[in-house]
Amino acid sequence: MNLILELLHDAFFSAIPALGFAMVFNVPKRFLPYSGLAGAIGHSFRTLLMHFDMPIEWATFTAAALVGLITIRFAKKHLAPPLMYSVAAIIPMVPGTYAYNTLISIVQLSVQDQISSDLTSLVIFNGLKTVFILGALAVGLAMPSLVYYRTRPII
Amino acid sequence: MYAETQNDITRLVVRSAQLLLAYGAESDLVEEISQRLGKALGLASVELSISSNSLVLTSLVHGRCITTTRRIREHGINMMVVCEVQRICLLAEKGIYNDKQVKRRLERIEPKSYPAKYVIGMIGLSCASFCHLFGGDIASCIITFIASAIGMSVRLSLVKKHFNLLIIFSITAFITTLIAQMGYIVDVTSTPKTAMAASVLMLVPGFPLINAISDMVKGHMNVGISRWGHATLLTLATVIGITLAMALGGSLFL
Repeated sequence: MNLILELLHDAFFSAIPALGFAMVFNVPKRFLPYSGLAGAIGHSFRTLLMHFDMPIEWATFTAAALVGLITIRFAKKHLAPPLMYSVAAIIPMVPGTYAYNTLISIVQLSVQDQISSDLTSLVIFNGLKTVFILGALAVGLAMPSLVYYRTRPII
Repeated sequence: MYAETQNDITRLVVRSAQLLLAYGAESDLVEEISQRLGKALGLASVELSISSNSLVLTSLVHGRCITTTRRIREHGINMMVVCEVQRICLLAEKGIYNDKQVKRRLERIEPKSYPAKYVIGMIGLSCASFCHLFGGDIASCIITFIASAIGMSVRLSLVKKHFNLLIIFSITAFITTLIAQMGYIVDVTSTPKTAMAASVLMLVPGFPLINAISDMVKGHMNVGISRWGHATLLTLATVIGITLAMALGGSLFL
């Protein structure tokens, strides 16, 4: 029960950024709700996977692949390019805090006169997390079209 | 088919490819749509070579080739245009549109965007919900909302004045971070760091990044790498803005 509530909470608060970014990308008005829906499904699916102790990188990869599949469905239904929905939908999964922590540690490291091992390990940990999560997002999103739609067009 | 008609049709095809690239479609989609549109309008084949800022297209029919080059200037992301061009291609393929109708509809395309007040409000809410998802408290969410809404309005007004995109990103990041530092100065929130991390997330170069990977894994290596470079530069510009603001506000070592 708690888990379901948490997932719903998650879905609601990730639908808002997906909608907001879809507006920045000028997605036509009638397709906006679908972007929000894909964003909500993707992020809450990742939370569900992480609840079962999956590492964040693999959870992100799987969730991004799911977003790719869903948006291909939407694209077939509306005869529109799938990236239109999916780029806004994966924005909530972008590793914002990791990227921010990497940046701050790098800047702090550069103004000190000595290399501190604490800061260095912070840079490496957060930096690796950022890079791998971003990579998982982008490659996961491309997965469905690489595996299923090799020779035929999506629409 | 007469030579004149081939000229006209090639112009239509290259115009739609140019529109798609300028408004942020991935290379694979551009190639697919222009080849399908060309075939639908009666060309035997269409070959395309896309680079980071230009496009070369050759059309072949009855053993006669026409090659033409177009310069591409980026106009920011606008999915309405991409959607419209795809629709035109599908209508031409089904035989509903002939070349005259395609031409008329291509000329009618103009990029529309949402009213600024809605976009600013939605981006404010988006960054506030990022802050909430990252575990910030209510006060830091409100700070994020204010900072990113003001940042977004600055960004939109700079875009309207046609500044360089890198300068726009730097200035926006600078102003947003300057305002988001409020949490350190006024003691209202226990998670001021989350507010600062969440409020600059509106500057994530989502489309360049996803297009870059998507191009590279589908074999358009040079376009993918140039888009990747573009995304990296935008991120660097954002970083410069953030660090400047933090050095100025003194929150770097808190």
